[in-house]
Amino acid sequence: MSSLSRWIGVLTDPTSFDLYVKYVEQVEPKIGAFLQFDPRLGLRESSSEGPLKGVPFAVKDIIAVKGFPLTCGSRILEGFLSPYTATAVEKLQRAGAVVVGKTNMDEFGMGSSTDTSFYKQTNNPWDLERVAGGSSGGSAAAVASGMVPFALGSDTGGSVRQPAAFCGIYGLKPTYGVVSRYGLVAYASSLDVVGICASSVEITEEVFALIRGKDERDQTSLDTEELYRRKELPGKDARDQASLEAEEASGAQYRGASSGRGGGVRRIGFVSGNLGLDSEVERAYLHTREVCSSLGYEVKPIELSMLEYYAPVYYTIATAEASANLARYTGIRYGYRPEYAENPEELVRKARSEGFGEEVKLRILLGTYVLRSGFQDQYYQRAQRIRTAIRRDFERVFQEVDVILSPVFPTQAFKHGSEGLDPFQQKVADRFTTAANLAGIPALSFPAGLAGGLPVGFQLMAPVFGEELLFQVARRFAEVLPPLNPPSYPSPWS
Amino acid sequence: MDQQELRITAALAYVDLKDEEYEKLAAAVEQMLQYFSKMMEVDIKDLPPTTHALVRENRTRPDQALPFPDTDSLLENAPETEDRFIVIPNIL
Repeated sequence: MSSLSRWIGVLTDPTSFDLYVKYVEQVEPKIGAFLQFDPRLGLRESSSEGPLKGVPFAVKDIIAVKGFPLTCGSRILEGFLSPYTATAVEKLQRAGAVVVGKTNMDEFGMGSSTDTSFYKQTNNPWDLERVAGGSSGGSAAAVASGMVPFALGSDTGGSVRQPAAFCGIYGLKPTYGVVSRYGLVAYASSLDVVGICASSVEITEEVFALIRGKDERDQTSLDTEELYRRKELPGKDARDQASLEAEEASGAQYRGASSGRGGGVRRIGFVSGNLGLDSEVERAYLHTREVCSSLGYEVKPIELSMLEYYAPVYYTIATAEASANLARYTGIRYGYRPEYAENPEELVRKARSEGFGEEVKLRILLGTYVLRSGFQDQYYQRAQRIRTAIRRDFERVFQEVDVILSPVFPTQAFKHGSEGLDPFQQKVADRFTTAANLAGIPALSFPAGLAGGLPVGFQLMAPVFGEELLFQVARRFAEVLPPLNPPSYPSPWS
Repeated sequence: MDQQELRITAALAYVDLKDEEYEKLAAAVEQMLQYFSKMMEVDIKDLPPTTHALVRENRTRPDQALPFPDTDSLLENAPETEDRFIVIPNIL
């Protein structure tokens, strides 16, 4: 079982520091996970004491770390140095963990392959001809190849869970508002969360416990510490009562785990129907159901009645919010500036036209269009109303089951370039992951063995604040099907 | 969506597109709008909008200035400066 204990002190002891850097130098040229790698810079900003003293971790390049570049995988932020550090990173640094570098990603988080990055290609450690997934592909690949025990990513519609599934690791998308977004560059603000890629359930839990909490600098962050602390109490009644009180105090819009069935996980909802999965993924999904049954859980078939609307609703809302959030990139105060412009307006138009890649332009255009007067009713406002129906559908399902077992993506890691999925197919394939972002609920992608030599992963979803339920099932699942490391990456610490 | 609508949208978004980009992006935008039209099937009559995942009401904070300690680091990110001013092309 992979835990953090073997990683403690790796960067604070000079001998193991050298050994560590040597390992990364040997692995990284094949993987291409990092946009910047500089553990010495990271060491300067970390506490010399704490439970994670000297433990290396990586940060997706959409999350700010002071002194490191912050590019979001985009040319428009070329050369930008972050003047401050994100809250989630700061909390880990205070616990002694060390940022070793910034990881590659799809431009502004828009993609499922990391191939829309302006800077470089990231390869899957299980097969270098394949993508690591996206948009947090660099973070997932860095973990899977043993270069770090965990990495921070961001998940707007599946960007932590899908690469985690492609790389055979764990990927947590927490409940919306539980981890501060301060220092996370905004893509779609009502959907964005900071997430965790990690090599084990235990590490995911430990990192989650360290980074969550209310932050004055993020107005959407929730005060849930009491709630999570009491959820760990023994005794169902005490836990439920505490959860009710704490959820009320947190100001959440609707009740979470306590409104469901309470206590630990007994019943798992298995999404049934024709889900359009690749045959290998389908087979593994059925096998995962069998494993859950063999662990003593009651597995109940459920229907997600809004499933076919997740991706259209998601892309309407996400592009609308993105078009507003990305309006700030003008080339005036920071980032890419064109060589010559006649006047300020031309400067802005040139900076954006030359600085954004094709996928980002597509989403800005779509978002601008669905927000234009005359089209709002048809698209954006309709999507927000259907989002309510999606939330209610989950509330209904969580009256019947404690957690939901669902696919993450209909395929395993696909190949780079034209042999893989085209951009439209990739968007349609987001149908399973986008639900958790639309509903604000937590979801954990976990490795479920290999098929055809490649990892396959599935996700568990729980009511809001129900992360503990996800960890519970994933821990037990790992006893039967433990996570595997790719054969060519003999990290001495994993 | 026709080319004209796409041009208006691009102008609103401050994005200039080359001719070949127009062609490619027009097709991609059209494909997505087709996909969005799936939403027309849903009866939305009694559904209030969800504007934010979990936040119930508007949240405010005290109207207090919190000075950023290192303003030099912000200015150092500007592509072109003169003293503590950011240089842009002439307005007139």
